[in-house]
Amino acid sequence: MVSKNQKTIIIGLGISLIFVLLGVFVFSYAMETLDVKAEELGAEENPIYEPPLPDYTIPGWEDEWGTLLLGVASTLLLFVAGLAAAMVLKKKSKSK
Amino acid sequence: MHIPDGFLTINVIIPTFIITLIFLAISIKKVKLTDQQVPIMGLLTALFFAAMMMNYPIVGGTTAHLLGGATLGLILGPFAGGISMTIILVLQAFLFGDGGLTALGANILNMGVIGIVVPCAVFLVMNKALKIKTTAALFVTVFVAAFLSDVTAAVAAGVELGLSQPVFQYGLSVAVPAMAINHSIMGVAEAFVTVVIIGTLLKLRPDVLAKSPILGKLSMFNKKDEVEA
Repeated sequence: MVSKNQKTIIIGLGISLIFVLLGVFVFSYAMETLDVKAEELGAEENPIYEPPLPDYTIPGWEDEWGTLLLGVASTLLLFVAGLAAAMVLKKKSKSK
Repeated sequence: MHIPDGFLTINVIIPTFIITLIFLAISIKKVKLTDQQVPIMGLLTALFFAAMMMNYPIVGGTTAHLLGGATLGLILGPFAGGISMTIILVLQAFLFGDGGLTALGANILNMGVIGIVVPCAVFLVMNKALKIKTTAALFVTVFVAAFLSDVTAAVAAGVELGLSQPVFQYGLSVAVPAMAINHSIMGVAEAFVTVVIIGTLLKLRPDVLAKSPILGKLSMFNKKDEVEA
């Protein structure tokens, strides 16, 4: 028997995965106002850190399918991270 | 709206980190979550990470993405909502380089503090003034709150960039209007999405909204029997 919370999570994660699909295959082109203004001024990014998965790509596998895999895995990771944080915060507020 | 490394000067980096850390410390101390909110916090964290992957064309060849600040704030409250957005922004910066590490304080301040506190405050003020009783009035209020969430977050980013001279030589008079105007278009989309999410939860999971520190203040949730699903 699926509980109300489980049903909400399944539907919500389903919608999240649709967002990832659309983000990878339809709405993938990004040129934010910030980027345009920086380009006009010749201002350049100056990263102080090399991320392991730059620009949502897997090094050596830089096509949409790699990004899709990353998007799906990251969405699930964020769900677990958000849930874990909520559980810790709930426990903390209970113990007060 | 994620500011990368190299765009902000130290006179902006330090204060934004300090304000953000103070807000997070207060949030961790003050946050109170109900049983219903625990899985919803996980879900909304994942949902808005995914939503930020979509870049919508706005004007002049530019794009923008949803923020989710209004949804997080109105459903989870400003403290849990701010923590949820912080988790998203920290992982985006460290894993993908989306937003710089030196700009992390500013990015959390814009999207995770201002983008969340503003819609909560707008909602509470409007609810007090209008004494919201109908769904239509609720949706209008949520729409306004979500729109202002995006615009104020963008204005804050514009101020930080405008103050970061000589990197951004345009200054405040160009950076602020550019960010505000372009992101106000995205603000309308954000407002629609927020209304749809809250409308859907109102229909399917009113118990979640009734326990919200912000939406739970609506008079429609005072009659307990109506919201127990």
